[in-house]
Amino acid sequence: MSVSILGSRESGQNIRDTNVRAVQAVANIVKSSLGPNGLDKMLVDEIGDVVISNDGATILRSLEVQHPAAKVLVELSRLQDQEVGDGTTSVVIVAAELLKRANDLVKYKIHPTTIIAGYRLAMKESIQYIKDYLSVKTESLGKDAILNVAKTSLNSKLIGAESDHFANMIVSCVEAVGVVGPNKDVKYPIKSIKVLKCIGLSAKESVHLNGFALMTGRTAQGMPTSIKNARIACLDFNLNKFKLQMGIQVLVNDAKNLEKIRIRELEITRERIQKVLKAGANVVLVTKAIDDFALKYFVEAGAIAVRRVDKKDIRKIAKQCGAEVLITLMNNEGEEVFNESSLGSAEEVTEERLGDNDFIFIKGMKKSSSQTLILRGANEFMLDETERSVHDAICVVKRVLESRSVVVGGGAVETALSIYLDSFARTLGSKEQLAISEFAESLLVIPKTLAINAAQDACDLLAKMKMYHAASQSSSEEKKQEYKYVGLDLANGKVRNNLKAGVLEPTISKIKSLKFATEAAISILRIDDLIELAPKPEKERDGH
Amino acid sequence: MIPGSSAPVIVLNTNTQSDDGKRAQLANIRASRAVADIIRTTLGPKSMLKMLLDPMGGIVMTNDGNAILREIDVKHPAAKSMIELSRTQDDEVGDGTTSVIILAGELMTVAEPFFTMKIHPIIIVSSYFKALDYALKVAEKIAREISIENHEEIAEVIHSCIGTKFSSRWGSLIVDLAVKAVKAVFINRNGKKEIDVKRYAKVEKIPGGNLEDSRVLTGVMFNKDVTHPKMRRFIQNPRIMLLDCPLEYKKAESMTNVEMTKEEDFAEILRQEEEEVCKLCHAIMKFNPDIVITEKGVSDIAQHFLLKQNISVIRRVRKTDNNRIARVSGATIVNRPEELQESDIGTKCKRFEIKLVGDEYYTFMEECEDPKACSILLRGGTKDVLNEIERNLQDALSVARNIILDPKLVPGGGATEMHVATELTKIANTIEGIEQWPFIAAASAFEVIPRTLAQNCGCNVIRIVTELRSKHSEESKDAPYWGIDGNEGKLADMRVIKIWEPLVVKKQTFKTAVESAAMLLRIDNVVSGISKKEKRQGAAPNIEDAEI
Repeated sequence: MSVSILGSRESGQNIRDTNVRAVQAVANIVKSSLGPNGLDKMLVDEIGDVVISNDGATILRSLEVQHPAAKVLVELSRLQDQEVGDGTTSVVIVAAELLKRANDLVKYKIHPTTIIAGYRLAMKESIQYIKDYLSVKTESLGKDAILNVAKTSLNSKLIGAESDHFANMIVSCVEAVGVVGPNKDVKYPIKSIKVLKCIGLSAKESVHLNGFALMTGRTAQGMPTSIKNARIACLDFNLNKFKLQMGIQVLVNDAKNLEKIRIRELEITRERIQKVLKAGANVVLVTKAIDDFALKYFVEAGAIAVRRVDKKDIRKIAKQCGAEVLITLMNNEGEEVFNESSLGSAEEVTEERLGDNDFIFIKGMKKSSSQTLILRGANEFMLDETERSVHDAICVVKRVLESRSVVVGGGAVETALSIYLDSFARTLGSKEQLAISEFAESLLVIPKTLAINAAQDACDLLAKMKMYHAASQSSSEEKKQEYKYVGLDLANGKVRNNLKAGVLEPTISKIKSLKFATEAAISILRIDDLIELAPKPEKERDGH
Repeated sequence: MIPGSSAPVIVLNTNTQSDDGKRAQLANIRASRAVADIIRTTLGPKSMLKMLLDPMGGIVMTNDGNAILREIDVKHPAAKSMIELSRTQDDEVGDGTTSVIILAGELMTVAEPFFTMKIHPIIIVSSYFKALDYALKVAEKIAREISIENHEEIAEVIHSCIGTKFSSRWGSLIVDLAVKAVKAVFINRNGKKEIDVKRYAKVEKIPGGNLEDSRVLTGVMFNKDVTHPKMRRFIQNPRIMLLDCPLEYKKAESMTNVEMTKEEDFAEILRQEEEEVCKLCHAIMKFNPDIVITEKGVSDIAQHFLLKQNISVIRRVRKTDNNRIARVSGATIVNRPEELQESDIGTKCKRFEIKLVGDEYYTFMEECEDPKACSILLRGGTKDVLNEIERNLQDALSVARNIILDPKLVPGGGATEMHVATELTKIANTIEGIEQWPFIAAASAFEVIPRTLAQNCGCNVIRIVTELRSKHSEESKDAPYWGIDGNEGKLADMRVIKIWEPLVVKKQTFKTAVESAAMLLRIDNVVSGISKKEKRQGAAPNIEDAEI
């Protein structure tokens, strides 16, 4: 007996196999982009636009994944991107591996719920273990630690060759935007970092600027290109000829008055500008238009006026230079005034030319925490990819600065966890034991993939790593304790102490990626039925 | 893609095509080589032009790398990224657009054997970057500085840079134009050098006449005539007024309706409109200008008033032209005639003249004191020739700009590249591990420039390149300066035949080429045809297309 449905239905072991295969396929796509020796993908859309990327989330987002289970994985990498910003590839690979192994267990007639329980337990244990034993406080590592974190993130990217340069830039950038919160903890709002792209020169000539940059030129050529001790006004209304609202008509009885209306229209805008200038503003940022006739007043006053500034940008600028974004000059009494208090201040506002574009730089703002990174590079695709890589690194640095805790990269954490979970599993007498040891085995996929991508002997390296980690966990000798930091050295195909080599990742990124991967695997594992409804035929649109 | 058998699981959109592993890598290499091959023959003094027919039937005739590639429609993504390079080069330094493509193409080509040898792309890429570092240092080392006051030397450089172009036949003509124009727009603002060729040096092309008639004006010109034939067309020491408002009755922005009940009212309104224009004109006349130039329209009645005062009026001038006029005449562009001041009047221009050139009227404003803008008047046979000459001139302008901004030169004629290649080969011996191979390959890739030069001038390539190589490996002081004389097809000391190129251009060429090659080499998977829309044929790239 089966209920008839309009569409197709798959259930039981069948659907699990299908899901696993789909997920596996997705993981295979991004697999080769993992690690310092990972390669990039080139994605071409229908129009022929090209994206070149190494970032798992970007790759998966650009691919049109159709299979529902595979979509879960795409979502997963997106989530990781949002929450942590880095580790988007590894999370997908781990999830796929977990799922594959779970499916094997199911084939041995172990109920999925048992596996799920085992996975959950394993996840909890691993997180605890990372927190207790594997994470290292950055204070104990010195300033280089943070640089190394940035470098580790960048190394796998296109700009890996210039990772020193970028890491320095990014760290000083993120440190500069630090804000002390109410609870005396320092927050690093990465939104205050503006990343601008400009074609030309080489990646190495990317620069970090203290201040804010706008990718527009000044409105009139007669304006000065540089103003020291700038007083900034931020206006969110246009400086066109005054115009009454739509639908309002003026009925003129005496023809003479017609002229007065015309003059008044000009005067209103002029008065507004004069008010702003009189208050001492010499830099005027406007989100909307500025009429040509109005430019003259700015030119005469020796002020810089910029039109069509992005609203988001103007808000940021206003916040940092202490200005107020005004949507009108009206005060409570209905008069138009511009107070000096609405002005912000900055040490310098200049217009500079980079490549073929003009940029306005606002430097040394009063409450400045704003930083700008100007990326240079050979072409647009490269700049886009550089931007993504820099974003990843910025996120990572922020995480580390906030949590002040790192773990060792290069597969060290995964191997350590795997060994630990393996022995932990043996303390349990239930069926979960099997699930936990599979979980332990799955984690090894990261060092394995790393080694494969680097074209090294994965089995050999893994065996060595396992040996060291097992030694560190089974003995309490101080020297052997150091072994828990042993990870892969992919350039030379050896194992080494990655803590000393400076391969570091934020703890929070590892923990989150473990959590997300497990949750995703579990949610796919719970599926035992897939019903795909056929699209409704168009004909049924009757009744009207 | 999917391990195991049974029913296939569709994960991705079936429209997409995917190339992975070696296939993708080799396809990328082939595509970039194809692009490089297209423009290979346009390098050097014996280069040939390309004629391109665009879909509209227009013709582009050029040997400028960027101009050629801009017109070509390629489908392969890697080829697209190559084409972007020449744009980057054009934006940043304005010259060397051909060599950057050739170099990038060669860097890709020499990497091909390593893929077959299974050397990891990451290693290739990292040694390429290392090679770039050294190459820049080598170029820096053989660079020499010149004084920007020295006109002749600058002219020499420009001459050698555009010696490869179509216009080289007219000798120093284009060079002189470029030097003069750049000197004119050069502003030294307390140490900050500013040269805005794009905005303040306008090239005006007028078909007809001889190329020799081309010149840089000490002022500006534009394709406009006075509004009324009776107005003066020749004025010495004019007082110039610039406006950007219409000299006619403007309607109000807000909706205004006039309700008329009496007949007189109608006349009143008409009269008032006239009066308004009259008022505008009076405001202008108060300052006694000889010429009024506006960006907007001028009504007949305003013309009438101004004509009576013997004022010449030019209307509908472009904003950019008006900015230039403001710079040369010292006038300020004014929007409201009521707000005019004496200081807004420009008097720095000494001669205003409207001439009939060909069958069109052109306004010339010349003999300006210290003009900070200029027009370059180009004359010549046909429009296509003029277009190509303009492109040459643009290159020359960028070269001149680059030299003045950064007066460092390296020898041309492939000498720098060859020297970089030799030096890199020497350094390669100090590099350990597999990285050495790609490093040597990168070194040899730089030789592509002298090789192509030799090819294009039709001499015995192998003999001349090996000869050049041996010259460069000598431990003498002259070694870095040996290059190929593209006209004679012989080796020559670049200092003797005076072929120099700006260092910035060379450096930018190296950087762009290496970075983009590195980017393309890192790709191991090409997925194409991604879209949510309905299937379309031909969205998927294929390699054959790129080969034209």
